[in-house]
Amino acid sequence: MDSQCLFTVTRTSAVIELRRLKTKERESTTTNPDREKQSRRSKMTILGINFGQSYASIAVIDKASWIGHPQCIANEEGERQIACAISYVGEQVYIGNGAKPHLVKNGKNTIMGFRNLLGHTYDEVDHTTILTAPLLADSQTPAYTVDILVPPAPASKSASNPRSAAASGAATPNPAALEPIPSTKTITVPEVTSLFLSTLLNSATDFLGTKPSACVISAPTWFTPAQHDALRKAAEDAGIAVLQVLDEAAAALVGYRVGDAGENEKRDKKVVVLDMGETSLAISVIQVSEGQYTVLNKGRDDKLGGREFDNLLLKHFSKEFTKKTKVALDLPCGPDASAADKRADAKLVLAVEHTKRSLSASSGAATCAVESLKDGYDLSSSINRLRFDGLASGVYRQVGNKLTEVVKEAGLDLAEIDEILLAGASTLFTGLQQHLSLLVSPTTPVTSTIDPSEVIAIGCALQALHLETLEDGLKVDDVLASIKEKVDVTSQPIGLVLPGQQGDELAAVIVDSGAPLPVRRRVAIPVQGVNGKVALELWEGKHEVKIEKVERPPLEKTDDDEEDDEEDEEEEDEEVKTPITKKVKALGGVEVEVKGDKKLILEVIVQRNGGLNVKAWQEGNEAASDSFEI
Amino acid sequence: MASVVTLPLTLSASPSGWTKPTAAKPSSPSQLPLYPAGPSFISAARRQILQRSFEEDDKHVLAAREKEAAAKEDKGDGLSYPGLGEEDEPSHVLNQDPKEWKKQDHYAVLGLGHLRYKAHDEHIRVAHRRKVLRHHPDKKAAQHGANDDSFFKCIQKAHETLTHPEKRKQFDSVDWNIEDEVPDLKSLSPEEFVATCNKIFAREGRFSKVQPVPEFGSLDAPKKEVEGFYDFFYNFDSWRSFEWHDKEVNEGSDNRDDKRFTEKKNKSERTRRKKEDNTRLRVLVDDVLALDPRIKRIKAEEKAARDAKKKGGVNGTAQNKPLSAAEKKAAEEKKKKEEAEKKEAERKALEASKGDREAAKKAKEAARKNSKKWKKAIQTVITSSNYFQAEGTSPSPAVIEKQLSELDLLVELLEPEDIKDLKEKIEKAGNGQPAKSVLVEKAKATGEKGQGKFTEFA
Repeated sequence: MDSQCLFTVTRTSAVIELRRLKTKERESTTTNPDREKQSRRSKMTILGINFGQSYASIAVIDKASWIGHPQCIANEEGERQIACAISYVGEQVYIGNGAKPHLVKNGKNTIMGFRNLLGHTYDEVDHTTILTAPLLADSQTPAYTVDILVPPAPASKSASNPRSAAASGAATPNPAALEPIPSTKTITVPEVTSLFLSTLLNSATDFLGTKPSACVISAPTWFTPAQHDALRKAAEDAGIAVLQVLDEAAAALVGYRVGDAGENEKRDKKVVVLDMGETSLAISVIQVSEGQYTVLNKGRDDKLGGREFDNLLLKHFSKEFTKKTKVALDLPCGPDASAADKRADAKLVLAVEHTKRSLSASSGAATCAVESLKDGYDLSSSINRLRFDGLASGVYRQVGNKLTEVVKEAGLDLAEIDEILLAGASTLFTGLQQHLSLLVSPTTPVTSTIDPSEVIAIGCALQALHLETLEDGLKVDDVLASIKEKVDVTSQPIGLVLPGQQGDELAAVIVDSGAPLPVRRRVAIPVQGVNGKVALELWEGKHEVKIEKVERPPLEKTDDDEEDDEEDEEEEDEEVKTPITKKVKALGGVEVEVKGDKKLILEVIVQRNGGLNVKAWQEGNEAASDSFEI
Repeated sequence: MASVVTLPLTLSASPSGWTKPTAAKPSSPSQLPLYPAGPSFISAARRQILQRSFEEDDKHVLAAREKEAAAKEDKGDGLSYPGLGEEDEPSHVLNQDPKEWKKQDHYAVLGLGHLRYKAHDEHIRVAHRRKVLRHHPDKKAAQHGANDDSFFKCIQKAHETLTHPEKRKQFDSVDWNIEDEVPDLKSLSPEEFVATCNKIFAREGRFSKVQPVPEFGSLDAPKKEVEGFYDFFYNFDSWRSFEWHDKEVNEGSDNRDDKRFTEKKNKSERTRRKKEDNTRLRVLVDDVLALDPRIKRIKAEEKAARDAKKKGGVNGTAQNKPLSAAEKKAAEEKKKKEEAEKKEAERKALEASKGDREAAKKAKEAARKNSKKWKKAIQTVITSSNYFQAEGTSPSPAVIEKQLSELDLLVELLEPEDIKDLKEKIEKAGNGQPAKSVLVEKAKATGEKGQGKFTEFA
């Protein structure tokens, strides 16, 4: 019933003439900025993609919840963690988790771990680590060759089932013409990426009902600009409207909304983003300054990941199997193992994946069952958390050591870290979380309030939302181009010293080191029973760690390297480390006349050039202020 | 915005003898990479791009927040719509049969009779709530002890219809309380005509998928607006539909054919009505266009402009009430003409000069030919004078050659008239010495040009 009523003009030259000036005028009268904005908002659908080396996840913000609640969605197979794998099997192409099992049977035609090759030339790629489809040697960009079957010519498609055609007595078509033709296909890494990302886009589009209007996609912290560009291009080829390619660590920070909680949160924090995925571990030390994230140090271990846990479980269960059935099985097996071992390996890898997930999800024992693992014997076993943590303590320690190393490289001590943020599905193990919380000071939280396997995707979606709802007519490109690779930050903390104060510490830090310039801070200081003048001094400080020996051993061990077993308790003096800020040099002072008990407000602005503006006044009496400028 | 954090300190009076420490510059900034992420980064970028100081940015943010808060308040819980849904409730509305909902005026039931299709969702929500509060069966039972919830049912039905976008569209399409009478346009004065048409087309415009709809406009609307209006309504894209008039399919009946028949009939009926409605609108626009005084005015103006243009060609700028366009055109025409004339003149001048040159060339040619003739005559005289040598002696070839070459030179130097003169003189003087003296005289007359070049005729 929506049929248009289009009329044709048959009368009056005056009207016929005006046919020409049509649309433009009308458009200009119909556009109304407010209305346009509103319609843009109601149309806005946001996508965030966490594109990992092994797994990807997607988060969306749609109309119904666009006020800022991103949601990590499952793809049509019901998977929130979508394996980055593509497998060519005959005429079929499997993408995502469905492609993973093919790595065993059809490894030659399965492509995995392609993300890290983006933006590289063939020569830059380390070929020894590639287990999947071989890379072509003769192309500029790395490319895979896979065997595929090309469907037969469409003319013979009508008789797709030759056997039934023969049985029915109809003319038997030439069987050779109906067979798919074996062929090889060359597909470059950017093409693979585009193909994979387009399936993610499809999943999001199916969920939302419309194509997402804006997207932010994550990239590892160590990606070079060339790799960023390659990823962006691949995503754009997949039809995704990419606003930004965002660092995974930054996405996690945005996802946890660090520095966005207002006054309940410390304004200056040193946080560690620990991202442990399936294949690698990435650690970033970040200075958060009122929600701006400066990078103090980054570290990476590309051998340490969830796969380690898989191998441990594999080993455990194969031993168990041998014990029970007396059938020799030593997993994980090398490349020259027997076919039976390899098959067992493949079967157990898939089963263990599930065990691993249930271990991190529930506190009970996790089962692992494989039918006919080897020589017709079944495996049915279970493992509880305690046992697993015992197995994995070596990996936990490696992670801890890496963390200590990266923090030390940043010139910090673990005691100075204010928060550890977890990202990546492998950090879901409670054992790992406990191990990390023992490393840092007891008050430092190890945060996983948002599912670490989803937080990066959620952060990407939030970032896309922030960029899409820019006010004041700002453009996304301008905003992103407003900073160069490095920015000026305060080099030393600036804090308060009260006159007549004892000791060599600052009373309070107002602007911490690593705050991007310009920075403004306001603090309120309660005043009590003063009817006259109060004074404040501003000092530049230096962070230090105070080490105190405490006689009684606390229940938790802090920085103990040798904790092999639970019963190995050491009764010795423990070191308690507290971060302090020593005063170094005076910058100036203010003196304000106060009346009553209203708070004193102190405003400190560090200018872009490093200059300092300080102003102090009593609340509600800004006219009577004291200030100085450097 | 600047957030203020209260420090866990307490200030006491400054100790006596405290002096401000001398100001020192803080350490120079160091450089670190920054993640371009998060709302704080965006605020910092905004300050940088728009070159705002912290105070200016605070002001903008504050203003934006106030605006937002104001917008939110506007949408509050109904307090902002005084009198909404509190129209009089006539008895025929109150005593409706809820089963006859197809005949029910949903807007009147909710007390929105004055707003109708203009009421937005918020109005409907607020009005519904007020009506429910007033007419809830529980309340009625408490007040009068009556157990009559029929009007409450009507309210619920009205709410259901009007909050469902599709159902509301269907109801709005056939809202019989909006008059769609078109008075006899022919009998109206131009002012009345415009007023009436404005009303009619504002009403018709509510069915347009494209919003906003151009107005009919005033009597002196410019051509562009008038044209835009008719253009819009000739391309009118209407959402009006007629599902409301559908006959109910008897749900109880098992007869599928019956159902299908009714559905089919309904469908064709809808199509027919839609077509009818489209035709109605087109006929209306046609009629209005035919009677529109503005079209007549525009035509007249255009004609005047054309006439002016024509006139402008004859007597320049002399025009009593010139239309600016016509005047311009006339001026242009004039300019063109002038230009053409100028061009013509130039062309003529060019041609003329060309003729002159040609004539001169011809004359020169002729002179050249003549001078040859005259030279020959002179040469004859010289030859017959035995090259001015003594009688009986034959002249030496060198002398002959010299005299001939000097003659050539002489002829060359002299103007054609002079050569003619020379020839006449030399012929008159006759052979021998007198001829030579004439030659010598002429050679002398060449003056500087021939100085020192003549030896025989010197």
